[in-house]
Amino acid sequence: MLEVDGLEVAYGDLQVVWGVSFKVSESSIVAILGPNGAGKTTTLLALMGLLPVKAGSASFKNNSLIGVPTHQMVNLGLVMIPEERAAFSSLTVEENLELGAYTPRARPRQRETMAEVWETFPRLAERRSQKAGTLSGGERQMLAIGKALMARPELLILDEPSLGLAPIVVEKSFNIITEIRDRGVSVLMVEQHLEMALQVADHAYILEMGSMVTDGTSSELAADPRVREAYLSL
Amino acid sequence: MTQLILQSVVSGLLVGGMYGLVALGLALAFGVLKVLNVAHGELLMLGGYASFFAFTFWGIDPFLSMPVVFIAMFAFGAILYLTLFRYVTRTEIHTRIKNSLLISFGLVLVLQSMAVRFFTADERTISTAYSSDAFTIGLVRVPVVRLAGLAVAVIAALFLEWLLSSTRFGRALRATSEDWTRAALTGVDVKRVYLVAFAISAALAAVAGSLISIGYSVSPNIGLGWTLKALIVVVLAGLGSMRGIIVAGLFLGLMESLAAVWLGGQYREVAALVLFLVVLSFRPQGFFGRAHA
Amino acid sequence: MPRAAAIAAGLVVLALIIGIGFFSSSQHLLTLVIQTMLLAALASSWNILGGFAGQISLGHAAFFGSGALVTRELWLNGMPLPLAVLAAVAATTVAAAVVGVPMLRFREIYFAIGTLALGVAVFITAGNLWPGISSMSAEALRNYDFTGPYFVTLGVLVATVAISLWLKHSKVGLGMMAVRDDEEAAAATGVNAFAHKMTAFVLSSALAALAGAAFAYFSVSYFPNFAFSVIWTFEAILVVFIGGVGTIVGPLVGSVFFIIGRDSLPAEVNEFQVVLFGLLFMLVVLLMPGGLTEAGQRLFARISSRQPPDANTAKATKGKELV
Repeated sequence: MLEVDGLEVAYGDLQVVWGVSFKVSESSIVAILGPNGAGKTTTLLALMGLLPVKAGSASFKNNSLIGVPTHQMVNLGLVMIPEERAAFSSLTVEENLELGAYTPRARPRQRETMAEVWETFPRLAERRSQKAGTLSGGERQMLAIGKALMARPELLILDEPSLGLAPIVVEKSFNIITEIRDRGVSVLMVEQHLEMALQVADHAYILEMGSMVTDGTSSELAADPRVREAYLSL
Repeated sequence: MTQLILQSVVSGLLVGGMYGLVALGLALAFGVLKVLNVAHGELLMLGGYASFFAFTFWGIDPFLSMPVVFIAMFAFGAILYLTLFRYVTRTEIHTRIKNSLLISFGLVLVLQSMAVRFFTADERTISTAYSSDAFTIGLVRVPVVRLAGLAVAVIAALFLEWLLSSTRFGRALRATSEDWTRAALTGVDVKRVYLVAFAISAALAAVAGSLISIGYSVSPNIGLGWTLKALIVVVLAGLGSMRGIIVAGLFLGLMESLAAVWLGGQYREVAALVLFLVVLSFRPQGFFGRAHA
Repeated sequence: MPRAAAIAAGLVVLALIIGIGFFSSSQHLLTLVIQTMLLAALASSWNILGGFAGQISLGHAAFFGSGALVTRELWLNGMPLPLAVLAAVAATTVAAAVVGVPMLRFREIYFAIGTLALGVAVFITAGNLWPGISSMSAEALRNYDFTGPYFVTLGVLVATVAISLWLKHSKVGLGMMAVRDDEEAAAATGVNAFAHKMTAFVLSSALAALAGAAFAYFSVSYFPNFAFSVIWTFEAILVVFIGGVGTIVGPLVGSVFFIIGRDSLPAEVNEFQVVLFGLLFMLVVLLMPGGLTEAGQRLFARISSRQPPDANTAKATKGKELV
């Protein structure tokens, strides 16, 4: 569904991502793992058109993504939740969700989707008129996911979904991610928390210093002694 | 003495309404695009001239030509965005403000000198049948056109408030103001939002200009003075916030008038500037703004 | 451009200016050169604050005017010129130090708007307090000799450029530029951002006052508040950017370009001169932040078929940092 080949990203003269390639197939969860500063977020931002791509190709459902404006990608069904959650603190929960269905593709089904979101996240329904800035970390995470779902994604990208959240909340989030996958939405997630990610992901790639080091199914990687030693002590 | 003070209060509030209207456009452009357009006053000036010439050549009443001026300046604002400010918005926020300050400063020079060239430096005022009419309430004289100006300012503010809070596009505007990257990831066409926001900003300036050409006067160099007033109002209200702009404008107008009564007319402007500097020093987020990071 | 060649070029220009001062009897030419040197000095002083330290001040004219006012008042009332100038610069420096403390707490745009407000307020107040025109006595007018003002202005320019040069290569200057490029990062490496900004502010204001003093000495008659007019700020900024902000040579080149250009435009085009310069300014800010200096460097490098020295940095920084 999503194919990225040889992606290179640079900040001016400083190259950060060196020829990264990965694939996400239908109804699967793929994780890109690696330590801080490996270039994971940079890769995602470049993919979504927020950073210039130096070289390489990327396609989503056979449509090339290079040079496509970000909002059009969202309209194709490629939705990303950035690292610091995606909710707008000055808007209410409900307004955030309404905004989530901004694209022409998602707009007609807004009411239907919203009902689904309220059902999935009853806590959000309770707080629908509250400003998003007043929500707790976990609630904001839910709102971010809910908002992303409003865009009726076919591939959901999550940048460090476990960051700054209590373990219980993280577990809950990952359960929801699995549920999302089961509903037919593919998930690409970038994570530092290897163990957690490997439990949920079908396939994983490991990124270090801007290059892919290894990849495989989660069971393969979990069993790999090198991976265990280098990363699972995190 | 009482009469003088009351009259000053009223005059101050009336001109304050204008300050608020001019500030609305500036705040919109700054809030959404994070761009500081110091040529805002020049757009005001152009709007004023447009009304003036429509009246002088075709006898069209300025209140009737106002919608047309709005549309014309909306288009001009769109053009300015596409040819100039679009390139400024390519940089990140930090440098964007600095660059926009500089670029629009160049624009000030260009627009102002072209105005001098084509319109001459004379002061122009529109004089209609009703332009010297006034209500007399007790001791106070309230010129009709200036009161109408205040009304327009309030209406514009209410309209903007409605746009921002109740429409889909308004939500997109607010989201873009908060964080354009997140907005793009939500599927908002940020470039289009910028374009429209800037065009509205220009159009609002022009409408203010129309009101000023009938209630006060226009000449090629009034731009910077109004821009400065607008900047003061925007800072008083809280840089980046749209709420309370009219209120802040009224406050400024009032303070100026009272200062003029107390210190003498020459110090009217200075009072405004000193007030501004004081607020900036002690409460930089303004009356209604959130404290900035 | 290699150091030795630059120095040689500078000396040649200096010799040329001195030569004109001594031998020319054309009032027009002398006036033009004085105006150029004056603007160049003012622009260079702005450049210290705006170009080196990255703080865009829109109220620079307040200090220029202050220097002019104090010099003029004292000198016309009998004080010898050098003392009057000294007093003017001292007074302005103190004022700048006082004003700088609250002003520099403002960051970025607030600083720009704050200085603009200050500049305008001072302009209006000056106009209120000194409404009458300031003229030299009839006798002084009859004996008016360009030589004095010419060389005083030249002296001011040389002093300003020398200080700029020293500053640029000094540790203090390095600190200023660090603050300009990224204030937080600079502070994190132990640079006292406020102290550096303050130094730039006071120095820049003192030199502006010096230029103002030269203006007061040169001008026959003018309204005192004219020296406080925002036009001076605008011209200085315009010229700095067109020439190349942050460089030593930029304000100089820009001034020459501006004054000569303005003077040599045919009468019909003359009305559009501001338009032209405004457009040029915008183009420079958008496309070639290094101004004429950068253009000149690239041209020079191409002619001598060497790699343009700053091509990569120029591309990398384009659109990111302009000042």
